[in-house]
Amino acid sequence: MKVGLKIWRYDSKSGDKALREYEMDAPEEATLLDCLDIVKDRQDGTLAYRKSCRMMICGSCGMRMDGGAVLACKTRMYDIAQAGHVPVISAMGNLPIVKDLVVDMDPFWAKIRAVDPYLKPGYDQAAERENVVSQKQMESIHKESLCIMCGCCVSECNSMESDPDFLGPAALAKGMRFVGDPRDGATVERLETYSEEHGLWDCTRCYFCQERCPKGVDPRDAIAKLGAEAMHNGIDRDMGAKHAKWFVTSAKTTGWLRETELVPKTQGVISSIKEMKFAMGLAVKGKVPPPFPPHVAADVHESRALFDLVKEQGRDGALGIVQGERALMHLAHDAGGTDGAYGKGGDYPVPYLPEIDKPEPKPEPKKESA
Amino acid sequence: MAETHDVLVIGAGCAGMRAAIEAFDKGANVGVVSKLHPTRSHSGAAEGGINAALGNTAEDSPETHAFDTVKGSDYLGDQDAIEIFTREAPGDIYQLEHWGAVFTRNEDGRLAQRPFGAAGSPRTVFAADITGHVLIHVLYEQLMKRVAQDASRMTVYEEYFAWRLVIEDGRCHGVISWDLLHGGLKFVGGGATILATGGAGRIYRTTTNAYACTGDGMAMALYAGLPLKDMEFMQFHPTTMYPTGILLTEGCRGEGAYLINKDGERFMARYAPNALELASRDVVSRSEQTEIDEGRGVNGSVFLDMRHLGAEKILDRLPGSRELSMVYAGIDPIYAPVPVRPGAHYHMGGVETDEWGRTELEGLYAAGENACVSVHGANRLGGNSLMETITFGRRSGQHAAEWALSQAAGADAAESHLADADRDLKTLLGRTNGERPWQIRDALGATMFENFGVFRREQQMLAAIDDVDALRERYASVIVDDKGDVFNNDLTQAIELGNAIDLAAAMLTAGVARKESRGAHSRPHDFPARDDENFMKHSIVRWQDGAPDLSYKEVRKTKWEPMERTY
Repeated sequence: MKVGLKIWRYDSKSGDKALREYEMDAPEEATLLDCLDIVKDRQDGTLAYRKSCRMMICGSCGMRMDGGAVLACKTRMYDIAQAGHVPVISAMGNLPIVKDLVVDMDPFWAKIRAVDPYLKPGYDQAAERENVVSQKQMESIHKESLCIMCGCCVSECNSMESDPDFLGPAALAKGMRFVGDPRDGATVERLETYSEEHGLWDCTRCYFCQERCPKGVDPRDAIAKLGAEAMHNGIDRDMGAKHAKWFVTSAKTTGWLRETELVPKTQGVISSIKEMKFAMGLAVKGKVPPPFPPHVAADVHESRALFDLVKEQGRDGALGIVQGERALMHLAHDAGGTDGAYGKGGDYPVPYLPEIDKPEPKPEPKKESA
Repeated sequence: MAETHDVLVIGAGCAGMRAAIEAFDKGANVGVVSKLHPTRSHSGAAEGGINAALGNTAEDSPETHAFDTVKGSDYLGDQDAIEIFTREAPGDIYQLEHWGAVFTRNEDGRLAQRPFGAAGSPRTVFAADITGHVLIHVLYEQLMKRVAQDASRMTVYEEYFAWRLVIEDGRCHGVISWDLLHGGLKFVGGGATILATGGAGRIYRTTTNAYACTGDGMAMALYAGLPLKDMEFMQFHPTTMYPTGILLTEGCRGEGAYLINKDGERFMARYAPNALELASRDVVSRSEQTEIDEGRGVNGSVFLDMRHLGAEKILDRLPGSRELSMVYAGIDPIYAPVPVRPGAHYHMGGVETDEWGRTELEGLYAAGENACVSVHGANRLGGNSLMETITFGRRSGQHAAEWALSQAAGADAAESHLADADRDLKTLLGRTNGERPWQIRDALGATMFENFGVFRREQQMLAAIDDVDALRERYASVIVDDKGDVFNNDLTQAIELGNAIDLAAAMLTAGVARKESRGAHSRPHDFPARDDENFMKHSIVRWQDGAPDLSYKEVRKTKWEPMERTY
């Protein structure tokens, strides 16, 4: 098939930047990575990008296609080529570009190191036997342990774009991998650290990390779990924590968000007084309701029931999500095909295989005794 | 001034990182050189699991594990090394668990163990089907922990392409590397040096291996005059997907998947009536190839059928394999069988070492796939390679640290070597008239795949030797497009190709001379049987005057006499 790519070339030494277009013949099963290989082999050996496993596990080939982070080896080109679309390929965001599609990952790893990414207390002697831990407990960190450190989430993180010191989705998901691990003995210490400035409460919940993660790690969910665990352990000094708590209280008591009380509950009274003039302005324009008497929603019992349900499920409610979830959704909605699981917002081309004759299933023979 | 360490580790996969951790814990100052960031190493792509006789799922013992391994090796494994290996494996697994490895559990909260090919008991510890991923990350975590403890004793040179060992006065002093990110040749010194660069599957066209698996360590050792052992034994994994060669784990069959031909027949019943799909890998690959050759395949493939396992088991135990099938074959294994065929997967051969990872050259060690201890002999059992990286990575790290700390520092011998390397590099970069590497690379992959695959014929092997010689000549005028300093992997890929050509020659030389069928080396047309009298011995290849030189070495036996091997 004919494939076209527009690639942002960049030379950090000269600072030269250029969008170059390439055309090639590629086999129908080709991925974006295969196409880059064709360019590098046959057209321009100076094109720089990282690659290794080509099977979605090493995390080398994170880059952007049409402005969104992808793993090049996971991105099949068939549908894109059929549509005649020529995608723009560029380096990942939020990290300095070294050359072409290669970014400097040092800032990424520095943040991973900042969450103390190893089990504490470390057991440095081989013990007699393994720790006994239930599978259910281990599943609570299943998604976080799928992370391949490709950087796609960090590339798309809006919060990091405005605050480069924000720990970011990959590091925080790594943090959750230890906070959720029953074998780790430093939960409170970790949650204290992760709750500091530039920490978990600086996430703006835009969910771009979750959308773009190629492995289903769901980093935003991990950050939510960290927040829940922090509050559970009484670590709620950060404004983000107070803000979240007031949301819950407000929704439970009135079924509404009581915005006038949100600011003092989040920022404290003194800081709120400074905002008084701004608040009055809003009130005059009818942007906020008068605080008294509190306006209670007619169906407030529904939001209270929801509150009780979440409370009853406790941490299992949030933690019980496993990787199979998306797959199970697919199973329920589309029992025959192969498209559904990857159809999320058109972020992946539908997998394609050159036509082969599939065998008719026959009754399976009984396995003889071994 | 060049950086120098007590222990220098080249490669940062499971073996390299495990060795580095052990050397650090024994008090050494450690340097790790790797052409990839450590977590990008191909150990992370291991799927199915890691073997240790814990006996958590059924009765098991290191003795049984050792026997299965000896039998699996087709009696070419060194039995003393295998006994050490199976005895120490359980302790190593417990340690990984205490470091935080996220293994799958049994009902009782102990480590779960699944059945694997040619294993007398379910002994493969696993983390769903991403066991290698879990291990590489837990080892990197431990590496980062040690950097946090004492950064002055643990330095990781990421994206340094190791090119040449510096050997003077019978000692290895370190390695000359190409700094990918910043450019330039850098010398990194080590009192002791451990090679842990992994396999060389990229010599073949269809392989499960990453682009990085180009046999750099084996080639560096070969050029330094060291012996490579059992190089003819390349394992062909039975279930690599059509058309990409990407691996579907043996764990699929461990969990109960069938292999069927185009008629839907479970053909393994005709080849291994007892073990069926869980016969050893060489046996299953030969069976598949026979089906395909006799016209019972489709597009050169048979099918891996998981439908009867049910959605729940597939999602629970094999989610990664399902995802790989969906992305790369467009098939959801819950509903349809996946086309698979044998593909180059694992090099049983490598740099000859003893059970402490020591090579012939004092102070130089090797561990993991680029080493040949040998525990795998002529055929490796699934799940034994991850275990080998850990157990022998640890042992070589320990020995290297103890040895290096007991030695006086070597002389600074790098200068003249750096000058030589620089001159050769300039020659390569300066060449403007010639051929780009990719056609040579593709031709090498094709000839090895067609002529040195599952079944081997004398004529084909000889033809492949001629092909490789011709490719070496073409390679002499290879040109590199990228003349720059920043992330110039055009250069490193050209160097890798040179290594691959000579390793292929070493493999073919040993293969033609082995006039028998043993393990992964199968010659059904002229030498269909195993010949213990003449060939129960390791092949040894050295590089002499630009060509491979072949000799043999006895297999070390303890208590198992060779028997007929059926499954």
